[in-house]
Amino acid sequence: MSERAPFLVGYLDNETNQSALPKSSDVVIVGGGLLGTSLAYYLAKAGVETVLLERDDINREASGTNAGSFHFQIALHQLTPNMSDSERRRLADEVRLQVDAASLWDEIEKELDADLGVHFDGGIMVAETQEEMRVLQEKDAIEKEAGLESHILTGDEMRTFAPYLAPDLAGISFCPREGHANPLLVGPTYAYRAWQRGALFRTGCDVTKIERINNGGDLKGRRFRILTSRGDIECNRVVNATGAWAAELSAQLGLRIPLGLSGLHVNVTEPREFFLKSMVQHIGRRLTLKQTHNNTFIIGGGWPSREEKFPKRYSNTWSSTTGNLAVALRVLPMLADVKLLRTWSGVWAYTKDFKPILGESAKVPGYHIAMVPTGFTLGPMVAQMLSHYMTSPGDGKLPPEFNIDREVA
Amino acid sequence: MTIERDLVVVGGGPAGIAAASTAASLGLTVAIIDERVTFGGQIFKRLGQGFDLESPDVLGKDYARGARLIKELDQPSITKFTATTVLTIEDNHVITSHPDEGVRRFLCKALVIAPGAYDRPVVFPGWTLPGVMTAGAVQTMVKTQQISPGKRIFFAGSGPLALAFSAQLIKYGAPVFKVIESAPFPSPAKLLSLLASVKGNWDLAGDALRYRSTLLTNRVPFHYGRIIIKAEGSGRVEEITHARVDKEWNPIKGTEVVEPADTLCLGYGFFPSHELFRLLDCEFNYDETRGGFAVKKDQWGLTRSSSPMPVYAVGDGTGVTGSYSAEAQGRLAGLHIANQIGSLATSDRDLTSKGFLKELHQRNAFQRAINQMFEVKHGIYRLADADTVICRCESVRAKEIDQVIDSTADVSVVKSYSRSGMGLCQGRNCQRQIAAMISDRHNLPISKINFQTPRMPVKPVEIGKIADSSIREEKYFIQ
Repeated sequence: MSERAPFLVGYLDNETNQSALPKSSDVVIVGGGLLGTSLAYYLAKAGVETVLLERDDINREASGTNAGSFHFQIALHQLTPNMSDSERRRLADEVRLQVDAASLWDEIEKELDADLGVHFDGGIMVAETQEEMRVLQEKDAIEKEAGLESHILTGDEMRTFAPYLAPDLAGISFCPREGHANPLLVGPTYAYRAWQRGALFRTGCDVTKIERINNGGDLKGRRFRILTSRGDIECNRVVNATGAWAAELSAQLGLRIPLGLSGLHVNVTEPREFFLKSMVQHIGRRLTLKQTHNNTFIIGGGWPSREEKFPKRYSNTWSSTTGNLAVALRVLPMLADVKLLRTWSGVWAYTKDFKPILGESAKVPGYHIAMVPTGFTLGPMVAQMLSHYMTSPGDGKLPPEFNIDREVA
Repeated sequence: MTIERDLVVVGGGPAGIAAASTAASLGLTVAIIDERVTFGGQIFKRLGQGFDLESPDVLGKDYARGARLIKELDQPSITKFTATTVLTIEDNHVITSHPDEGVRRFLCKALVIAPGAYDRPVVFPGWTLPGVMTAGAVQTMVKTQQISPGKRIFFAGSGPLALAFSAQLIKYGAPVFKVIESAPFPSPAKLLSLLASVKGNWDLAGDALRYRSTLLTNRVPFHYGRIIIKAEGSGRVEEITHARVDKEWNPIKGTEVVEPADTLCLGYGFFPSHELFRLLDCEFNYDETRGGFAVKKDQWGLTRSSSPMPVYAVGDGTGVTGSYSAEAQGRLAGLHIANQIGSLATSDRDLTSKGFLKELHQRNAFQRAINQMFEVKHGIYRLADADTVICRCESVRAKEIDQVIDSTADVSVVKSYSRSGMGLCQGRNCQRQIAAMISDRHNLPISKINFQTPRMPVKPVEIGKIADSSIREEKYFIQ
């Protein structure tokens, strides 16, 4: 973990960024979030000519505004009170995917040679009531079956293990693999390393239209013309990595990508002496709580923010702030005198089945989409899968359940 | 608890008091809120608890004027809320926190925001050393606690503030030994334009002369055309360096003077507290001489905002023009609100407002002339060296910020990469400096640069004071 924030030097210097777009590229990635930047990295590493276009700055939306938690454990929104066997199997499959993602995060700081604030200090999931405790046990069983280590603790065992928690909680599960990274650093660092390997970046470059070029079915020729606020660029393959805005560009090519959008509320506090190694979540209520290595507390968990007109996006509401903080205090009462410094809101885009949309369209060959609902945890891994698909024809198969045409009704 | 009034006034300085008192005297019910324990704002700051005043005369006419204004709030239809901090404004609710009373919501038909201004932070090597203080902080010490922060105070500043504050400090017994002003000695043309606007401002002109004579009789030298460039010392200020400046306030090499001092007092003017206006999506003009972001508003103070209720902006928080102008702005807002939501006839409003409008125009004209004389130049943002801390909360140095702004012109992006502006001051101390650095690097005016996205709470607040366990979330995203 050598440099902190290496992207501060040289990357995307103003002169380069202001210079004209190249006329063409093999691949054009639209969107400079975590998906786009990590894909640019893996493609550039494989020697693919890549240009990334971002309308604002790198890492500005969901990729930089989420709370940086890894969600390897089964989350609250995936569970239902009485699950069938098939639901259990589906969840176990998802956990296996998360376990794979965890291995990528294990290596990422080495891969990118940078300190990204990655910590695997475990995750605690608390249950307040006996009913929640039963759900926690069920979740624990599924996770164990899928190969994710997990322990249930109650009573004095729980109080000794996590003395900072409210002593009257019904119990906790502890997942040693859970962790977090600094979301402000991961995307930009991928971008920086991609740039070092030859990928080109342009920020402040708004893609207004994607046109198909009719060249008689010649797969080697340029198939797309991308119109931007800073001129046109042609390419063989285009990847839509615009996250919450993935549907807009796809619609231009006649593809329907049904996405749900939701603004999520996050709180951050002043720093306190470091004591909370593990992330804390709640099995029955909306809470993620962690102490960062800057010693501040980040408190979120899926409380809604209010949708506003572009470019304001989402504003924070008083009820989400105070409701979210109350859940945090219920679990960690000792935070009462810590000062809230700021709230913010990120956008969360999700598919109906909460699965990624990943791959190439059968209807529009050369057009790819990379979109993941749990984007921070799975983003880099999914990008790696897509890069493999794009660079190894025939070999790199993508999971059929991620098929991008599946939701094109 | 929810408190409902015709009018809610945020800020109890001259502008807020004038608005509250005027509207109340015309029949409206009013709540006035201030985060301090007493009303009067920074300018009419009262003595601290435990101090008795035998004769108000010793504290000068400002103190008496402040006392008169504060007394105007003693009306049955005005409810006063001190130690009450506004955290956010949502729809037509002003949401506040009080150390003992907790969260209170205020509901109203019209809202006046008079948040005042805070000292302009000036960034130079050594600006974070103990003993470097803003004029406002020194003023608070001598006014409310009657103590001097040091034995040998060097005063560096610009504009009316440099003169007025240094003279005031001397009168209070603080040992100021030298004053420097960054602007050049006023040219005859500028003095003439000042003279042309002096009508209605003889009191302020008289004040200026008195301040100057205080400095003269105390043999405190006052030098034009110099700026502070460095403070040094082990553990606290021991030496300061100042230098002559060119037209843009860039220090001129070879003109440095080093002097021993144990306190460096900085009075380079004020920044309007624009947080609430930004939260409400108000529009701004950028005017460095009025402190930067000046809210756009009509002659009554009415702004365009995203709030469903009419929002009025008055006083120095809307662009710094001084306490007399602030008071007139407050009166005009009070009159207009009484007309809009009360029973004041339009003809009566117009009749009564004539005098205040005249006062406002005269005060603002004088202020403009003064501002032209002492216009703050961009050089004030170029004093840092590579190792100077820019964000003091998060200890981010100029060189780190320089690296980031090479790739972005957005203050929020600089923040997310470098942590500048993420601390307790919520960016109040460093944001503008960073914007100015971006302005230099990208050749953009500061007005065109995106600042941090405004978010609530506008002041830090303890979690336990606002957490509300009665709020339950929906089950989850999936129904």
